[in-house]
Formats: sequence, structure tokens, C-alpha cells
Amino acid sequence: MRRGRAIVFATALELLCEPLFLLVLLVALVLSSIAPAMHYHQFGEASRMARDAGLSAILVGGIVIALTGPVRTFRREFETGTVQVALAHSVSRTMFFLCKTLGCAIAYVVFVLTVAFASLTVVNGAEIGGTIASVRGNIARLWGPSLLCAIAAIVLPMLIAAMLNRFARFRFTLTANVLSLSFAFVGVFYRLDTDLAGRILPAAFLASIPALILLAASSAFAVRFTGNVTLVLSAAIAVIVLPALGNYCLSDALAGGGHVPATYIAAAVATIVPAVAALLALGVHFINGRDVK
Amino acid sequence: MKEETVVSLKGAKKTFRDFWLRPTVNAVDGLDLEVRRGEVFGLLGPNGSGKSTTIKMILGLLDPTSGKVEMFGRPPRSLEARSRLGYLPELSYLHPFLTARETLMYYGGLCGLSRGEASRRADQLLSMVKLQDVANRPVGGFSKGMARRVALASALVGRPELLVLDEPTSGLDPVSTKEVKTLVKALAKNGMTILMTSHLLADAEDVCDRVMILDHGKSVAEGEVAELGESLEDFFLAKVGNADEFVLADFLS
Repeated sequence: MRRGRAIVFATALELLCEPLFLLVLLVALVLSSIAPAMHYHQFGEASRMARDAGLSAILVGGIVIALTGPVRTFRREFETGTVQVALAHSVSRTMFFLCKTLGCAIAYVVFVLTVAFASLTVVNGAEIGGTIASVRGNIARLWGPSLLCAIAAIVLPMLIAAMLNRFARFRFTLTANVLSLSFAFVGVFYRLDTDLAGRILPAAFLASIPALILLAASSAFAVRFTGNVTLVLSAAIAVIVLPALGNYCLSDALAGGGHVPATYIAAAVATIVPAVAALLALGVHFINGRDVK
Repeated sequence: MKEETVVSLKGAKKTFRDFWLRPTVNAVDGLDLEVRRGEVFGLLGPNGSGKSTTIKMILGLLDPTSGKVEMFGRPPRSLEARSRLGYLPELSYLHPFLTARETLMYYGGLCGLSRGEASRRADQLLSMVKLQDVANRPVGGFSKGMARRVALASALVGRPELLVLDEPTSGLDPVSTKEVKTLVKALAKNGMTILMTSHLLADAEDVCDRVMILDHGKSVAEGEVAELGESLEDFFLAKVGNADEFVLADFLS
């Protein structure tokens, strides 16, 4: 248990220290925070646009994280030789592979939660802005709340992380990632028990499904193939998995402010469990069958 | 296998193959080797002689093509056997994003130590390798010598019975080299079994009880250092080649 925990923790830490992770997170936050405000023709649906932008950011950014995270961490283990030292301990190859994949999944969950929480804040801001606009009748109804959210979730964490790095030697990327999650959460915590959270968080889970399957695929391929081959094979899996998203009828479920039905979540779980299990079994087969040079 | 034998290879062979499974090189070719409890055993040989491949077969990282490899009387992939092992690879393979302390905590975790135990052990080892002042800095920014010391401390974190050192003084300055050799002697004195590879004969001469000389994956000589003649270097050169054979004169002319 301690051995597995050490691998999971180190892998999650590694990915959260990655500049690429921070970059994707920032792009996703900018998209979900600023993009809704960029559209002038909102037809009174500013909060819906904010919500859709957030879910799109989770889907696209999540796929990037799910594809590149395992490739980078596994390939780095094999190319720099750290895997040799880890496997010279009393750690089975199966445990090493599964725990590293779990570490990647934790980093992915941090990404999804940060963007989902930020989206909740922006949607909240859009609704407040809409109320103000109905009284004042001006078009700038989204700018104020959206920019406040952007500052909270994007600019402030960067500034504080930079200061902590300068004066206390904290790791910039890791600190910025953790602070972004904290700021996004603080901005939204009072709405977690509301109807809005009940819709966006399950929708974020559904949007995460192809990414989680891709994460398992890229982990499995990364222990056997080079980084480029892994990305090509995982992209092929993505082509198969992504169209299946239509089955979950996300837009139908969300249209008109409806909840995501529990049956959709159950269908998603029924799809994801065997797919991920099969890919992880393939990864276990690959890592046990290869030489570690 | 005798009770005191810690590592044993019998007819071990390792052939690397290409993508089409065609054999490319016989890195180790029918090697017999025994490392006894409490000794410092040196695996010597020129670059490409199969030292690191032999080590990796012992660690279970490479499966032998044929022959038998055992560590503590068990197959190398046995978790029980590997829980009694410490390994320092040829290059200091460290996670650059972890600090020196986190690195030792990580390897402490892999050895099954509790968090408190790993923390105490990390402090102890950081002070032993004189890195306590930089304990909270990421090792990615360390010099080669500092990284080597962190890697050495990592190998000792689980209090191993068998320490495998692949080129332990590689990249170290003379002072650090001497410190490592002193440490190896001290660990051996406390009963630890040490298997080390080196192509620096002075290192082997200083610390090893017994040595084996490898060339092209085969053992060309084995015995106690004192038995192999007055100078290990002369013996080595006689066995695996001589500088006189190089046509330097032709090249320079």
C-alpha cells in the first residue's frame, strides 16, 4: 500500500509540475472564463454559453491532458532510467503501471475540477450580470463577473505562485496549479449544493469519459512504444471513442436547463469500465513482457 | 545453492534482438557467477563487456535468454528478494521535479517504510551525504556529483542486505570518489554484501575482495584481488587487450 501510494503521489506531482499541464489548464480557464463574454449576440443565454464553453474546455483540454500526461511520464521513466531504480525495489511491474496510471488520472481530475469549478463561477457571474442587465439594459453584463473570475482563477494564482517561488522557493507550476484549483473552488463553494452544480458536475463527468479511456490507452501504449507511436495509436482510439459521445446526448440533457439523467451516467460507467479494464490489462501485459534497459 | 551465496548466475546468456526478433548482440554469453554474503565483489571489464547487462539480469530488469539467475535463492523478479536490495545505477536516474528530501521519501515509500520512518531515514542519509542544506531543492538543478550522492543515499534508504553499485564513482571528483570508496568499505565492514561494476581498476583494487573480469560477455578471469597478480591493471590489460595493440603511431603519422 505504501509503495503504491508513493508511486501515485510522485506521478501526480510530476504532472502537476509540468509546464504543459499549466498551459493547457490556463487555456481552458481562459476559454471558459473569457469566451462567453466575447459573444455579443447572446440572446439572453449568457449563462448557457458560459456553461457550454466550460464543458468544451473540459472535453478538449482533458483530451490533451489524457493523451500527453501518460506519454510524458511513462516515456520519461523509460528514457531517463528512473523505472530501473523503481523496479529494483520490491514493486511489481503490474503495481508500478497501475499506480502510475492512477497518478495520471488524479492529475486529470485536478484539471477537470478546476475548470468545472471555474465554469460554475462564470455561470454564476453570468446570471448575476443578466439580472443587472435587465435593470440597466447594457451589453456589458458579462464582462464584470467574467473578468473577476478570470482574475481569481488565472491571474492571482500566477502572481502568488511567482511570489512564493521568488521568496520561498516554492515550485511555480505546482503552486500555480494548486492555487488555481483553490481559487476556482473558493469562488464557487457556496453554489455546490444548488441545481446548477447538480447539472454541470455530472456533465463534466460525461465529458471526461473519452478522456479517461484515452488516458488508459496512452498509458498502455506508452510502456511498449515510443512517444510518437503512442500518440498515433491513442489518436486512433480517440477517433473510435469520440463519436460514441453522441450516445450520451449531453446537449439534449442540458438543453432547457434539464438535469443529466442518472441512466446516462450509468450507461457511461457501463461503457468506461470494460474499455478501461481491457486497456489496463493490455498495459500490464506490455510492461510484464518487456525488457527494462 | 550454498547458504552464503547471495547472487548466483549459471550459464546466463542475454541476446538482444531487433524489431524483427533477429539477434543483434550477445551481451552476456554463458556467464557463471557467485557473490557470497558479506563480500565486496567487483565486475570489471571494458565498455560494452556486459557488466551493466549482467547487473540488470540480477535485478530482474532483463530476462536472461537462457540460463539461471537467482538472488537470495529466488528468481530476480521475486518481490521478497528485491526487498533486500539497494541499487545505484550507472547514471543517477532521479526525478528532476522532486527535491532531494522528496526523492529519499519516495524511495523510502517504495521500500515500504512509513512516512515518519522514511522522513527520519531521509534526514539521516542527507546528512551522511552532506546534502542537508539543499534538501528542499529540486534535484533537477543539482550538479552531477550532488545528484550522484542523492542516488547513493536512495540506494541505502531501505537498509539493504545487498547493494548493487553500477559504476559508483562515475562522474565524481577525486574527493567524492574517495568518500564513496570509504563508504563502501564501511558498509562492507558492517556486513553488507556489495556487488559493484567498474572500469576504473584503482577503485576495484581499493575496495573489492574478489573480482571477475568480463570481455565480450564472457568471464576471462575471476579470483581474489590479491591472487590476480601485483597490479590489477597489468592483469586486466593482459586479459582484455593492450594499448600497444592500437595503431596510434600509424594514425599520428
